[in-house]
Amino acid sequence: MFGYYVSLAIRSLRGTPVLSALMVAAIAVGVGASMTVLTLNYMMSQNPLAHKDSVLYAVQLDSWDPNEAYQRSSNEMPVQLTYRDATALLRSDIPARQAAMHRYGFTVSSDDFELRPFSGEARITTRQFFALFDVPFLYGGTWDADADSSPVQQVVLSKATNEKLFGGENSVGRSIDLNGEPFTVVGVIDKWNPSPKIYDLNNGPFNEAEELYIPFGLHRKFEIYSWGNTNGWASGDSGEGYEGHLQGESVWIQYWVELQSAEQLENYRDFLTGYIREQKQQGRFQRPLKFALTRPSEWLVLNEVLSDDNRVLGWLSLAFLLVCVVNAVALMLAKFLRKAPEAGVRRALGASRQAVFVQHVIESGCIGVFGGLCGILLALVGLGTIRQLSFGYIDQVATMDWLMMLAAVGLAILASLLAGIYPAWRVSRTNPSLYLKTQ
Amino acid sequence: MLELKPMLSALWRNKISAMLIALQLALTLAIVSNASIIVQDRIEKMARPTGMPVEDLIAVTFQPIAQDYDMHGAVLADLDLLRSIPGVVDATHTNQIPVSGSGSASVFHNQPNQEIGGEVSNYYETGPHFIQTLGMNLVAGRNFTPADMQVVQPNEDSRTRVAIITRQMADALYPDGNALGKSFYNSNGTDPVEIVGIVERHLGAWVSWSKAGNVIFFPRLVETNFKRYMVRAEPGRRDEVLKAVEKQLAERDPQRVMHIETLAERLERSYMSDNVMVKVLSAVVTLLTFIVALGIVGLTVFWINQRRKQIGVRRALGATRLNISRYFLVENTLIAITGVALGMAGAQIANHFMVSSYSQPALSLPVLLVCALILVSVSLAAALVPALRAANISPATATRSV
Repeated sequence: MFGYYVSLAIRSLRGTPVLSALMVAAIAVGVGASMTVLTLNYMMSQNPLAHKDSVLYAVQLDSWDPNEAYQRSSNEMPVQLTYRDATALLRSDIPARQAAMHRYGFTVSSDDFELRPFSGEARITTRQFFALFDVPFLYGGTWDADADSSPVQQVVLSKATNEKLFGGENSVGRSIDLNGEPFTVVGVIDKWNPSPKIYDLNNGPFNEAEELYIPFGLHRKFEIYSWGNTNGWASGDSGEGYEGHLQGESVWIQYWVELQSAEQLENYRDFLTGYIREQKQQGRFQRPLKFALTRPSEWLVLNEVLSDDNRVLGWLSLAFLLVCVVNAVALMLAKFLRKAPEAGVRRALGASRQAVFVQHVIESGCIGVFGGLCGILLALVGLGTIRQLSFGYIDQVATMDWLMMLAAVGLAILASLLAGIYPAWRVSRTNPSLYLKTQ
Repeated sequence: MLELKPMLSALWRNKISAMLIALQLALTLAIVSNASIIVQDRIEKMARPTGMPVEDLIAVTFQPIAQDYDMHGAVLADLDLLRSIPGVVDATHTNQIPVSGSGSASVFHNQPNQEIGGEVSNYYETGPHFIQTLGMNLVAGRNFTPADMQVVQPNEDSRTRVAIITRQMADALYPDGNALGKSFYNSNGTDPVEIVGIVERHLGAWVSWSKAGNVIFFPRLVETNFKRYMVRAEPGRRDEVLKAVEKQLAERDPQRVMHIETLAERLERSYMSDNVMVKVLSAVVTLLTFIVALGIVGLTVFWINQRRKQIGVRRALGATRLNISRYFLVENTLIAITGVALGMAGAQIANHFMVSSYSQPALSLPVLLVCALILVSVSLAAALVPALRAANISPATATRSV
């Protein structure tokens, strides 16, 4: 029966090509526009750490200005830590894993190759970074434990950088020059590029992962300043020079911990409370005692990865789809009522109301399938245009996976069925005698 | 005269279809007016003057390979070289690239020893050539002299005692408008910095910042491990100058990594999300209007076909072609006005939500009225062709049975 209704539907659609094309176009444009925006929003709202959402926490401490709360985050605490606090927290052995980090850049050069020196995006971090975020290693592993607190010139390369420098072979033990100083390669990670870049949302949440991973113990040796946001409130608070920067109240270090049980979480909370109390005695942390441990899913919300603009576009696109559905209802009503005499004949020949209803709903479903397929094409065009307008910045998020394509067809069918229900009901209530008389 | 009574009773028989059209128009007006106000707001934002000849400017960032690099010497040599390149108007060192989205800011006060309040400002560390290089307009006071320049290490107190600021920042610090010759201070600071010059305007590092335009320039060179230059080319010679700059800087000192870009490109990137918003919203508005117009055409044609017989009868009874066309146009207008009236309420509600939750601009009545007027016209235009064709229906139709 289903197959028969589909063939009836297609015949009927062919019978009124203009009206059918209008309906398919309405559904296609509605689905195309809304899927373009919804795909962007869906990809931007991904949580790349969903599998560890219950054990990972971003750490915030309220070390800010006693006179005024931190204004740039919704929980009124700086999203980064001071160097001083980060190194103090690193001494705790409560978390199963923890990582302090920030963005930096080194010049990369090498004696062995005819390679032009280039600037390498670097993440200065501690050794458990890789285990904490489940970064897969291709060769070797992370650096020695003492490299987190003393200057040890070791480096972990990204897969792409290893290909650029060593043609992709196992480069563990080889040497490269960073800022003119020799560094030994201790590991090469496999392709890894979380999107959004959840571990550091300050510098563009859709930027690529770094090319070099450098131990945390090199700050003084290279006088490393963050290449990300550095926010301060007390100017010239603790002396001049690089040591003054390290001991000052500027926040520029991101901090993550892995706490595997409720007990660890409780202990770590006690530890942070104790730490802040101790600092208060030394005259720091003059605001009310406040800290936060935030899971990845909430961290994405707190940092407003999905911007207000994206949300506005999301609502707008749904409203757009609604207009297209209302449009399709009107057109379908017109079309079905025009065919009412046919339905009247079918009813007179013994078809039940239900059968007539199902037949017309299937016809609207067919419009949905065609509309959905055209809608996918339109959405691909839309995403392509947005990619072009954004200079490649959101290439990673402006793509449609199979799930979103299925969702597009699903949305189209749902929209057209919704649009078809009332007209199909109307036509199924047709009084057969009315049409038999005039025919 | 306009046959309102029979029209309304006819509409009542077709109430669902008429309601669907009105509903579409209402939703469309709510979307279109809110989208228009956002588009207008973003276009105005992107059209703000930057205070610079953006098309003639080139930005250079470089990072030396050696750790013990003589940054001061390199900057002096590079700037001399840059200024000697044919087609270059002037060049300067800087700590940040204008409108790039990355820069430094701090809070400044018009009194010493202040902790609270003050005015936050974007600040540059540059030199006597920046006014000429960035093509800015010095409206009061003097430019820096070489004697004003300070060369310092990062995080070292610079003891800079003079600064040039934008007119906007001058008015923020000294609302009475007599900022020239006065001083400002860091938070908790006691050392005065004298305002020696005021420039007309400069947008600063962040185009989307609420305080964009608050800018201070210090005559200072900080020996960080990377440095930036701004180079201004003669009009129309930017691309040629860019190539020469890249080549000559690399020849003078190959042991460094360099990145050269045009400021126009930087600006375009900074306005990327605004630009996407404008393009996407414009596309939505256009498509939506088009879809709604098509829907109206479709339904008007359908109604006319449904009433062929009645039209024939009316014509046979003496109605003119004009009467017939007018009937459908007036009917359409009635529906459109109902829809638009509903839509105006809907637009206000939607806008209230946009303003409170998503910090979008408030909808003004003129914009709403213009959008409403456009939609009524579109609706009328969509009904025009079918209505004129309806007038062609022959009175003889009335005599046929089907």
